[in-house]
Amino acid sequence: MPPMGAVVSTVTNAPPGGDLLEREVPLALLDQALAAVDEGKGRLVLVSGDAGIGKSALVRAFCARAASDRRILDGACDGLRTPRPLGPLVDIGKAVGGELQRAVAAKDAAHSVFDALVDELRSGGDSLVVIEDVHWADEATLDILGLLGRRVESLGSLVVATYRTDELTPAHPLRVVLGDLATAPGLVRVHLEPLSADAVEELAAPYEVDAADLHAKTAGNPFFVTEALASGSTDVPATVRDAVLARAARLGERGRDLLDAVAIVPNRTDLWLLEAIAGNALGALDECLASGMLRAEDRAVAFRHELARRAVEEAINPHRRAELHACALEALLTPPDGSWDLEQLAQHAEAAGDGAAVLEFATAAAEHAAAVGAHREAAAQYARALRYADRLSEVERAALLEARSFECYLISRHDDAIEALDEALECYRAVGDTTAEGLALCSLASRRWCGGNPLAAAESVAQAVRLLEPLGPSPELARAYAAASSMAMNAEQAEPAFAWSDRALELIERLGATDTLVFQLNNVGTMGMLLGRPEGLAQLERSIALAAREGLEDDVGRGYIHLAWAVSRLREFALVPRIDAGIEYCADHGLELWKLYLIVYRARVELDQGRFSDAADAATFILRQPNRAPLLKLLAYTLLGTVRARRGDPDVWSPLQEAHEIAAVTDDLQHLAPVAIARTEAASLCGKAALAAEASDAVLELAREREAAWIVGELALWRRRAGIDEPCPPEAAEPFAAHLTGDPGQAAALWRRLGCPYEAALALGDAADGDSLRRALAELRGLGAVPAATLVTRRLRERGERGVARGPRPSTRANPAGLTARELDVLQLLAEGLQNGEIAARLVVSRRTVDHHVSAILRKLGVGTRAQAGAEAARLGLAADLQDR
Amino acid sequence: MPRYVIERTFPEGLGIPASAEGAEACRAVVERNLEGAVTWLHSYVSADERTTFCVYEAPSPEAIRNAAARSRLPVDRITQVRVLDPYFNG
Repeated sequence: MPPMGAVVSTVTNAPPGGDLLEREVPLALLDQALAAVDEGKGRLVLVSGDAGIGKSALVRAFCARAASDRRILDGACDGLRTPRPLGPLVDIGKAVGGELQRAVAAKDAAHSVFDALVDELRSGGDSLVVIEDVHWADEATLDILGLLGRRVESLGSLVVATYRTDELTPAHPLRVVLGDLATAPGLVRVHLEPLSADAVEELAAPYEVDAADLHAKTAGNPFFVTEALASGSTDVPATVRDAVLARAARLGERGRDLLDAVAIVPNRTDLWLLEAIAGNALGALDECLASGMLRAEDRAVAFRHELARRAVEEAINPHRRAELHACALEALLTPPDGSWDLEQLAQHAEAAGDGAAVLEFATAAAEHAAAVGAHREAAAQYARALRYADRLSEVERAALLEARSFECYLISRHDDAIEALDEALECYRAVGDTTAEGLALCSLASRRWCGGNPLAAAESVAQAVRLLEPLGPSPELARAYAAASSMAMNAEQAEPAFAWSDRALELIERLGATDTLVFQLNNVGTMGMLLGRPEGLAQLERSIALAAREGLEDDVGRGYIHLAWAVSRLREFALVPRIDAGIEYCADHGLELWKLYLIVYRARVELDQGRFSDAADAATFILRQPNRAPLLKLLAYTLLGTVRARRGDPDVWSPLQEAHEIAAVTDDLQHLAPVAIARTEAASLCGKAALAAEASDAVLELAREREAAWIVGELALWRRRAGIDEPCPPEAAEPFAAHLTGDPGQAAALWRRLGCPYEAALALGDAADGDSLRRALAELRGLGAVPAATLVTRRLRERGERGVARGPRPSTRANPAGLTARELDVLQLLAEGLQNGEIAARLVVSRRTVDHHVSAILRKLGVGTRAQAGAEAARLGLAADLQDR
Repeated sequence: MPRYVIERTFPEGLGIPASAEGAEACRAVVERNLEGAVTWLHSYVSADERTTFCVYEAPSPEAIRNAAARSRLPVDRITQVRVLDPYFNG
């Protein structure tokens, strides 16, 4: 046995593959190499890939899973500027002792050390040699690697060496060795690719991280991904920094100075700017490019990786960093093309600690970003300006805070939006500006509602009204009334919505305030539309037109959203072109979030039009977007679950559960109803009555209270289909009501007129005649509605048998339940209500024989009592048969 | 990534010849799958070649349906599955 130490290790019972992602192929290649070694053919496996790609992790996993019965000799090359000669062999020699250790210690020539290694491998039992990071190998180690490579097959050993491809400059000595080995027998190359977007998403799933962004920033580098996730913040993790800095440290002093200069400019540095910042150090550009840390672009240079740039930047000492940024700021104030780059100016101003310049440029940059629809950047710039806002007055600061809140709201950062407004409210309170405070409370209500908290939103509005009412009539009070109307409308509480509306409109008429008029026409119009009142659409359209005329773009978008909401609710498909117009408007005006709402409502229409794939595609698209307001997510998840349920596809319940959790903290039908309907339908399609009831009980009650006819109808119908026996609620919308009150044919006609083929086919499928059932089946199959089609097929099959039962004379066929002629005699008398003794007397048989016949009848009809037997006889059409006899 | 078995019915029979033409047809399907991150692992074909059971990896059932539509393949039923290996679990 070899001596056991830190380096020689025998691993047992390790998990296969560990938790490596997308490394099946490399592991399989290593396994194949091991299998060849077991047959006496040695292998040198070269594992290559960028820094951080997971070479060591792969080798560790392989050692753990494949080397339970062999010793592992591992040594590593080090990344010092001047590496230890034969470093890896020193490690291995220390571990195994003997001649190898002696030869290394005696500084023997490489080939002597190689001989000692060969002896050790031949005499020491099955071994796996691992040499890590050979891109850093000293020349002697490279010689030994070359010797190993050329002889490994006959040597019969397994050697694994790892190296970084991104370290291999054109003149790197390892390249020479690799070139020599290109055709060597027994050489296996394993190149590790970056992780796919899917794998990164899998890794990122447990964290609050945008997976697509993480994938883009890390380029799928597992080390960077893991470290970025493990850091739990946007700061570059220390270990990544260490990796980058160790690499940078190998450059000369001027090279490192140049890196510093490049590092203070994100992404890329124009050469004119670099000249101003770096001065003399620019002479080291070739060195930096050759090292691979920088890459050349058109009249600019950049780090190969953003994380590397940040690591270098953060390592610059603060004083020098501020100096560099001050240089950059100065240079950027007089750029060659004469135009200011606001974002860069703001960035360097902040880093240089120039507060006045930050306020000027960050605010300007925020306004610029907001204007071009870069709301994420705008929110960040406002945040930057706000860090230096202590030199501003309360009122100026509040204005910045309100602007930041709005931008955060646009990118669905609801918590930040609310926090900024809370701070703005503090400012207004500090200066005693009650009017501004009331107005800000109205904005806060809107933010809270969009953040998925309608209850807190209503509270803010109530507070605004309380503050403003004592001050007498004002445009601000009109706004507060309108906000109260909006809250009620969103909760579908018609009475308060109209009552607040009257108050708001009365004030608007007296005082003007077009923006509030636009807002209020929207509220009252939407409420009217939802209730099916014709004037609703006219008011909403007036709101949209007025908003467009006044340039109130957000209000135009809000108008279209509410129009789309009502259109999808009421199945007013003639108005779908208006949704399309809204999507176009929002796209043109950079209203991304509004556009997503419109897309999701249009997807709902597509679902109702039987276009399941289009609806699912749209929902998937929405869920891939970074801007995801709670309601938006809820609607998209609901669509996905519904499409799956209707097609009979797997994984219906997980999206519905996601939606259910979002809805759980709200109390309005907008959130609750879509999820409840989807869950009731899904439960009904798989015959789960209890689940259907659980999913819909509370929401049905709420919808009846709010007189939401379409929601009441849809819930009631799916409950009926699930087997819940209850009368049709009087509030149900017409097509549902027709169906529920026993006229599915009429319902089918109504649905067809509306343009809802799925609902029409379902209604036909509940009709009494075979023709309707067969048409329903064909239509459901055409739609790909597998579970519903299966239900109709079953019904047809049942009818098919019944049809036979109604056909020829009873004597010429078997009756449905398989009753004998004598049993039919007994059944007839039983159905007339006779007791067994009376039946026996009537038929002139013994009482015991009748007992026997009755129990056979109950068994064959599948019923428990005599009364049920009579009812079942009637249901099966046996009553007529009995009369015929 | 989730794994699925997809049942498909070909009333006229599958009709993939064991030739370059057949291989090309399969390759075309595999290529169109790539657009949706869908991977066709393998299939079982009934003796009469009218029913196939295809084992796929895909991010979602919708991705499978979209891939099928691109390749004009029928889909009767999608079932999410996981592997049970009698010689491993034993």
